[in-house]
Amino acid sequence: MKMCIACGMPMKTKDDFAMRDESKDYCKYCARPDGTMQSYEEKLEGMTDFIIRTQGLDEEAARNAAKGMMMKLPAWKE
Amino acid sequence: MNKRQEQKVKTRKLIIDIALNQFAKDGLVTTRTSDIAASANLSHGAVFAHFPTREALLNEVIEEFGMRVTKHLHELVEENVSMQGILEAHLKGIEEYEEFYTRLISEASILPESARNTLIGIQSAISFHMLEVAESEMKSSKLIKMPFNLMFNTWNGLINYYLMNKDLFAPRESVISRYGQQLVNHFMNLISIRGEVK
Repeated sequence: MKMCIACGMPMKTKDDFAMRDESKDYCKYCARPDGTMQSYEEKLEGMTDFIIRTQGLDEEAARNAAKGMMMKLPAWKE
Repeated sequence: MNKRQEQKVKTRKLIIDIALNQFAKDGLVTTRTSDIAASANLSHGAVFAHFPTREALLNEVIEEFGMRVTKHLHELVEENVSMQGILEAHLKGIEEYEEFYTRLISEASILPESARNTLIGIQSAISFHMLEVAESEMKSSKLIKMPFNLMFNTWNGLINYYLMNKDLFAPRESVISRYGQQLVNHFMNLISIRGEVK
């Protein structure tokens, strides 16, 4: 199973892929409306917001965690 | 993949499996890599050849645990699963690695930052599945409307309290197998709109 290179989500069905295109390496949540992949800054913002919304963490703590998580993903690895 | 590469992958997997057990048994902060090497019948150097630092090994083990613990949740994606089904799948994943998970949550605040981030990432994956179902069941008036983060943290608070006090609740058996269903039922009662829970 393919994993999204930008957020790590397993992409199980066609619907999970950006633009429902299984040749893409990123998921629908990491795509912009035009289908291109979000930038580092956009993804960091999105992940931080998601952690705050679902786990209720402090903003700085959530941003640090999001940065740490992104560091390990293929799209953002240095 | 040639034989040498195959062997390398096999050894790496063996180290992760053994380390998961050893960390569960002796603690995430206190387990020594030399003990992991001994249990795996490898030299200390062989372990370091795969994982240059103890922290790198710990992170990889937590990540592997995360993949396994969220497996049941990912499997449910295509099914029309209920909140109760999500909670049960969450506990099923934890139950398989109960000892390791208990160590992980008990020692979370003293773990290296990278390990902590991995744990937040695991919680993120779990909350992702739970959020989808919670939002739809709140909309259809099955669940009481509440901020999702409080719902998620209340659930985690409940199960983690029982796990962290295992010696008081289930000293000689699995906490989840003894109390899991009871905790799911109780939580469902708390969040359900009256009349929806049988």
